[in-house]
Amino acid sequence: MDILGAWIAVFLTLAIFSFLYKDNAFYKIAEHLFVGVSAGYWMSFNFWTQIQPNLLGRLWPSIRYSEDSWWYSLYDTFSFFAGSIFPAGGIDKGHDMHLIYLFPLLLGMMMLFSLYKPLSWMARWGIAYTVGMAAGLRAYGVLNSNVIGQVKNTIIPIVGTDLPFFSLTGDSYFNNLIILIGTVTGLLYFYFSREQTGHFSKVTKVGIYFLMISFGASFGFAVMGRISLLIGRFLDLIKYSGSDFHHASIWVLIAMVILLGYSAYQEKESSS
Amino acid sequence: MNYLVELILKLAKVDRRWIFLIIGFVVLIPLIYPLALPIRPGKDSKEVYDFVEGLADSSKVLLSCEYGPSTKPEIHPMVTSLLHHLFSLDRGHKVYVVCLWPDGQFMAEEALEEVAEKRFGLTYGEDYVMLGFRPGNEAVVKGIVSDLRKLYTIDAKGTKIEDIPMMEGINRFEDFDFLFSGSAGYPGTTEWVQFAADPTSVPMSTGTTSIQVNEMMPYVLGGQIKGILAGMPGAAEYEELIGVKGIGTSGMDAQSVAHFVIVLFIFLGNLGYFIERKRSKKHQGS
Amino acid sequence: MLWKRQIPILIVSLIGFATLLGWFFDQPTFKSFVDDDATQWFDILAAFAIFLGGLNLLKLQTQKVLMKQKGWQYSLFAIGGLLFAIVAGFFVKGNPEVAWGAHVTSKGTLFKWMFNYMVSPMQATMFALLAFYVASASYRAFRIRNFEATLLLSSGIIIMIGRVPLGSYISSWFILYLIVLVGGIVVNTIFKNKQYTAVAVLAGIILVTVTGSSMGWPVDKPAVFYLPYLQEWIYRYPNSAGSRSIMIGIGLGIFGTSIRYILGIERSYIGE
Repeated sequence: MDILGAWIAVFLTLAIFSFLYKDNAFYKIAEHLFVGVSAGYWMSFNFWTQIQPNLLGRLWPSIRYSEDSWWYSLYDTFSFFAGSIFPAGGIDKGHDMHLIYLFPLLLGMMMLFSLYKPLSWMARWGIAYTVGMAAGLRAYGVLNSNVIGQVKNTIIPIVGTDLPFFSLTGDSYFNNLIILIGTVTGLLYFYFSREQTGHFSKVTKVGIYFLMISFGASFGFAVMGRISLLIGRFLDLIKYSGSDFHHASIWVLIAMVILLGYSAYQEKESSS
Repeated sequence: MNYLVELILKLAKVDRRWIFLIIGFVVLIPLIYPLALPIRPGKDSKEVYDFVEGLADSSKVLLSCEYGPSTKPEIHPMVTSLLHHLFSLDRGHKVYVVCLWPDGQFMAEEALEEVAEKRFGLTYGEDYVMLGFRPGNEAVVKGIVSDLRKLYTIDAKGTKIEDIPMMEGINRFEDFDFLFSGSAGYPGTTEWVQFAADPTSVPMSTGTTSIQVNEMMPYVLGGQIKGILAGMPGAAEYEELIGVKGIGTSGMDAQSVAHFVIVLFIFLGNLGYFIERKRSKKHQGS
Repeated sequence: MLWKRQIPILIVSLIGFATLLGWFFDQPTFKSFVDDDATQWFDILAAFAIFLGGLNLLKLQTQKVLMKQKGWQYSLFAIGGLLFAIVAGFFVKGNPEVAWGAHVTSKGTLFKWMFNYMVSPMQATMFALLAFYVASASYRAFRIRNFEATLLLSSGIIIMIGRVPLGSYISSWFILYLIVLVGGIVVNTIFKNKQYTAVAVLAGIILVTVTGSSMGWPVDKPAVFYLPYLQEWIYRYPNSAGSRSIMIGIGLGIFGTSIRYILGIERSYIGE
């Protein structure tokens, strides 16, 4: 199975890379397969790690199982049809019964009903819950760490302590001044409530320079990151080109080059 | 001279597929024929290393893995190096692994198998535990901060938390001594800083992809994060510090050559642009 | 209208306020609900949303096949991939020793095989494609049109070269010679006099050569021109100042937007 898996992985990798030559059938197949398999993967993974243990496991915990209970008779009916999801005797994930979890079950089912167009409004309740929760979490977190925290960290000594005037690798007055000036002028650039003219424009120009240095550094890091990803793929292709995997990378590459070359030749012939 | 100028102008209009091919070869060849370039650890990587070295005996370390296969070349060497560092110190450090990304669980399992199981022969449940992935992004971080046991009733293998020996005394985030987040995006380091480290003052370090480094630098400079392993170079630097070379180091040769080639491309592209601009100015003048 | 508009807005406001106030209220029941149950519901609804996405994909791709739209043959791969993932997630474990639920993370299962040899390679390769596009963009699009662009590219190049091992082989004196040549170009641009240019360049070369010889040509001195030290200074100080100002600006924006959602002013989640 591992060798079959390696050949499939190599085919899919090279099929996606073939897009660099031009859009072709191999790429389209891999792209569609990626979309389908990823969707199915996420659905399954989230069901088994969240819905089954945390939702169903709190509605029908094994700790409260009783054959006489109508609630568990309903569970036993589900268990008859889907024994893997509803194992006999209740779901044992260490939870107690919390019937309040019927609320997220209802919201979740409403989300799924929205697939039927006349009921598409039903998803709004579940979405509203997630939006409200995310807004509440973000408002505090961002204000505390990204605003107040950063303003606090910009209050640094520029006179009066025993720091050196300049240091390339450590703290110094000059470096602290750079941080202070860069942060303030950068922030002033984003102040659009006032027209940026005269002396104000000179200050914001300095802010732009700091922002450009920052964007340049981001570009450098972005290049670094992308090349690292490519290195990762090539390491896998090199591993699968070995005799353990029957030189999968080499054979699949040769086959693709031949087929793509032939297809390009046919296109050229038909166009001429 | 004219011939050179014409060649540069012609190169400026070259089909981009030739550029793709050059980049492909430039990255592939150093991977097959390594250059073994020496790595010089930077200040931020040393800060992470020094902090781990300075942890008190029997520290409880929370390791959070939020990366997937696409970012594995950058983050995975950091995670394996950190695990190696912690276990090689032989000071009784315990490692608790959580994941904010589902893929992170697979990555973490691979790292634990390679380092904790095979390299050090440690015992699951006594030296390390895989609590696993929980969906919910920052809500998971908040849950860990307030009541970890309510969020994690079972570990990734399905064992109840109360049955795991090293979970004794672990109820919330403040019961940990150190957090390391191996993060490739959202949710990740930012969420750990905002919802866990900052409000509770539990020290944390991070290893991130190169792309995220710029976003994290304000936190590093402000002391909210103790050092940062920045992308594959950061992973290579940490491997150099612990003396165990891995994918981070082997990838740096290819990374170096690729960067030089891209800088050369920028230079050639701009050269062609300036020549073209000078010519059009001359034509306009005449 | 009540179901489709007012109730979702009410849910966002209630949950948003509760989550935000949860940071400030120490009442145990309220805090327990906000920190634990509300958080769990968020997780569960996120899982349902993923389910909704997957089912939506199946619906759209099936419609494409049934209506024989352009490229419908490729949609068969998407549907096939999704169904294969569902089978691996819910019907065929592949390893009878592993329990349902744990099979999504355990070794030896069909689900794990699918992750290792299909999901993982395809996901990684999609991202790795970006390395090629970054290189192509660097060659064809990045132009030094003005001072700001020069700053951006210079800081990007210094970071890219300085962070990799090869960068530590480049001597500071090489950078100094480059600066002398660039200085010569600047002199030529300003004065348009070949004599002045020649004198400036020659003087620069002599100065650098004499200084270098007297110092014994150390690779990393003067430190300010040694790329690894220079890139570290740029990335820790001016770059961080720019990043910090961006972070504060974005933080204030996110806080404002979150409050707008909680107060019901922003209603884009219901299509308004």
